[in-house]
Amino acid sequence: MTMAAATLAAPDRVDGIFAALGDGTRRAIFRMVAEGPRTVSALAQALGVSLTAITQHLRVLQGCGLLHTRKEGRVRICEVDRQGLDALEDWIAFNRQMWERRFDALDAMLREEGEGKRGED
Amino acid sequence: MSQAEATYNTFIIDRTFEAPAARVFAAFADPRSKRRWFAEGQSHDVERFAMQFEVGGREESAYRFRPGTPFPGVLLEASGEFLDIVPGQRIVLASTMSIGGRRISAALQSFEFSEAGGQTRMRFTHQAAFFEGADGPAMRQAGWEQLFGQLQADLAAQA
Repeated sequence: MTMAAATLAAPDRVDGIFAALGDGTRRAIFRMVAEGPRTVSALAQALGVSLTAITQHLRVLQGCGLLHTRKEGRVRICEVDRQGLDALEDWIAFNRQMWERRFDALDAMLREEGEGKRGED
Repeated sequence: MSQAEATYNTFIIDRTFEAPAARVFAAFADPRSKRRWFAEGQSHDVERFAMQFEVGGREESAYRFRPGTPFPGVLLEASGEFLDIVPGQRIVLASTMSIGGRRISAALQSFEFSEAGGQTRMRFTHQAAFFEGADGPAMRQAGWEQLFGQLQADLAAQA
């Protein structure tokens, strides 16, 4: 299944992402990991929170598909999960919205012209 | 080497306009009229818009997104060709779109018009191949930025 199809099939997922990012610490984690993979301990250190707290936040971020973790030797590394937020899906939605907006403008333009014509009669 | 994937998407928009088909069609055929509803907008500045309304004629446009949009400062370019024109009834255009100089989609845009009781029904079918593959850092970055923007707006609305 493509990422776009996966996103379309699970609209609740977006709510999960927003809920996960509604927390300041989780936003900070996500911003850091979006810049590049980070170890769990590096995140804990950078944000000044305990490993236990970081682990709990990571569970939420993993649950909605924003991040995933993998073990490399004795360290756990966090990476952005591409399935979480699909830029392509955003792009398709953006494209459709763009056309909806255009047709709104066309509708307004035709109404304006119509009124002008009636005024001339 | 990673495989570049294309994703396919079709959407349809049905609209009814309070105007006869000839007037609606004219809004697509006349470059000045089309520019007004198609190219102008609050989210971007129009850097270029030119069209030759004939089969084989081209439609070229370029927009620069304003701050506060999903792609602030980014150049969006569309380049297309009219494949079919039936006056008052149908327009088919094939068009590619680039964002930030990178071609990301090709689309077939079909507009069908039918008039009834002074109104015009339009069906717009947008069939696209999106070239964004498994790895598209620029697009993905734009996606993240958009998410953060939406989130900030959401949070501001709640506050």
